[in-house]
Amino acid sequence: MSNTSVTALVRSEFKKISSTRLWWGLLVGAVVFTAFQAGFTTAFAGVDPGAGQPTSPGLDTDEAIRSAYGFAAFSGTYIFALILGITGVTGEYRYQTITPTFLVSPRRSRVITAKMLAHLVMGVVYGVVGLVTALAVSGIVIKIRGFDLGYGTEGLWTSMALAVLAIAIWTLLGIGIGTLIRNQIVAILVAIFITFLIEPLASFGLSAADLDTVANFLPTTASSALIEPANTFVDYLDWWAGGLVLMGYALVLAGLGLLLNIRRDVS
Amino acid sequence: MGRMMPEGIQVDVVGLTKMFGTFKAVDDLTFSVQPGMVTGFLGPNGAGKTTTLRCLLGLITPTAGTTTIGGRAYRDLADPIGTVGAALEAASFHPGRSARAHLEVMALGAGLDPAVAGDKLAQVGLSEVGDKRVSGFSLGMRQRLGLAAALLGDPRVLILDEPANGLDPAGIVWLRSFLRALAAEGRTILVSSHVLSEVQQTVDDVVVLSRGRLVNQGKLADLDSGPRGVLVRTPEPEKLRDALAGEALSTEGEAEDGRIRVVGGTPEQVGHAAFVHGVELHELVAEASDLEKTFLLMTEGAVDSVPVADLGGATTS
Repeated sequence: MSNTSVTALVRSEFKKISSTRLWWGLLVGAVVFTAFQAGFTTAFAGVDPGAGQPTSPGLDTDEAIRSAYGFAAFSGTYIFALILGITGVTGEYRYQTITPTFLVSPRRSRVITAKMLAHLVMGVVYGVVGLVTALAVSGIVIKIRGFDLGYGTEGLWTSMALAVLAIAIWTLLGIGIGTLIRNQIVAILVAIFITFLIEPLASFGLSAADLDTVANFLPTTASSALIEPANTFVDYLDWWAGGLVLMGYALVLAGLGLLLNIRRDVS
Repeated sequence: MGRMMPEGIQVDVVGLTKMFGTFKAVDDLTFSVQPGMVTGFLGPNGAGKTTTLRCLLGLITPTAGTTTIGGRAYRDLADPIGTVGAALEAASFHPGRSARAHLEVMALGAGLDPAVAGDKLAQVGLSEVGDKRVSGFSLGMRQRLGLAAALLGDPRVLILDEPANGLDPAGIVWLRSFLRALAAEGRTILVSSHVLSEVQQTVDDVVVLSRGRLVNQGKLADLDSGPRGVLVRTPEPEKLRDALAGEALSTEGEAEDGRIRVVGGTPEQVGHAAFVHGVELHELVAEASDLEKTFLLMTEGAVDSVPVADLGGATTS
């Protein structure tokens, strides 16, 4: 038997996830939030909001259909996938289970690698569940409003598959953040603060300064690039480049975290 | 496993020093632990026991020195938990995870059949609560679960940090016979404790630590080599002193409870001298085993030299 294989460690990670209730609690949250996103998007698509606000594309456009399925699934689910990833690392420090984990595998980088692989799979599961939720809720609302379900919409299936991939990569981002910031509360707060406050502000500021090219490399914008390859209104990165940028964030964060923590005392 | 006993594994700590900032938790510590017996790792809270054990297990990086198990550093072991089983503080369980799942997580990671979890739960007497969440476990049950985790890979070396903490008297008796049986199989067992009496009847060898330094290593019996005295209570202390002086026995002042400690004689000799000189005695008793006192003297002035029973909290040092 050699010094614990990554395959065995991945099995161990799946057991860790499945043996507590957090993963499905977060999944329930993702379903509820996605249902809300999908319902809201489809209910108000093409409806004049009044007060001189621009009207979003109607449900008879490709744009609105893609948004009702793929994008609603992503925007309702990714934050829960992110938190699952973060707690996948920080929960071990919080409950001190990191001690038995490192006793089983004293090679710490293998533990993080195994966590990434297992959580990537969990991220795909979250993505699929989010997508099914969006398909169901949006489908119902679209039917109620008397529009066509639009399954033949150009680029729809690609956009949905890429939404699942984007959600999965956000789980990896969570592992990266958790590896770097070992305190659970701090890690989650920092992640949410950056995603919901700093990034939109940065994006706004960069656009105002005509630096859209730079803004394209922000995580959420890169996600949009990944999900909406057929978007003709915004000049995002290519979808694959957006995916690589997201992966890059996850790997750099995890790498940095490992670099700082690989020798750090666990007591 | 066949009848033939596998080779024993020696544990070595050589010149180990660990600084936390400017605080020297472990100071140039050297000792070895032999297979086939139980070695007690003793010292008051804060003496550096847990730090030393965590260095041995690759969880803490030493400032200087080396720790090896069968000549290898923990992180270089081919089969870590199949070689060394460790139970550190009783708190390292996810409260929402069942006892069985906790063991399965470890077993899977080590490439073992997760079914061993059931065997080990049975071995430590936790079968009935195996599927319950750890959050409902008492400290004693957590200690047993920690022990089950340590035994998971059927290791030749066991490292247990304060395993008696939180066990009831029956649990301590159980632990004692359990560890003796494991040692009899040729395993190497290192057990830390800040209360000598907890492990007194379990250990063969002792390594005594105070303020991060080694103060004694050897047979437990050798700790108790100091002269044993006789304790006497009398309303006529001066008369007794004179009487004893005549018999070439010396007294060592008064003990805190008003008793006089006589050294160099047996209770019979002291009683005889008092009788011959007509000194009234109210109490005459041979001094009890002085191990605990020796231990306290040895570790005197340490951070917390009065052993207190831990009430639930995990002990870290």
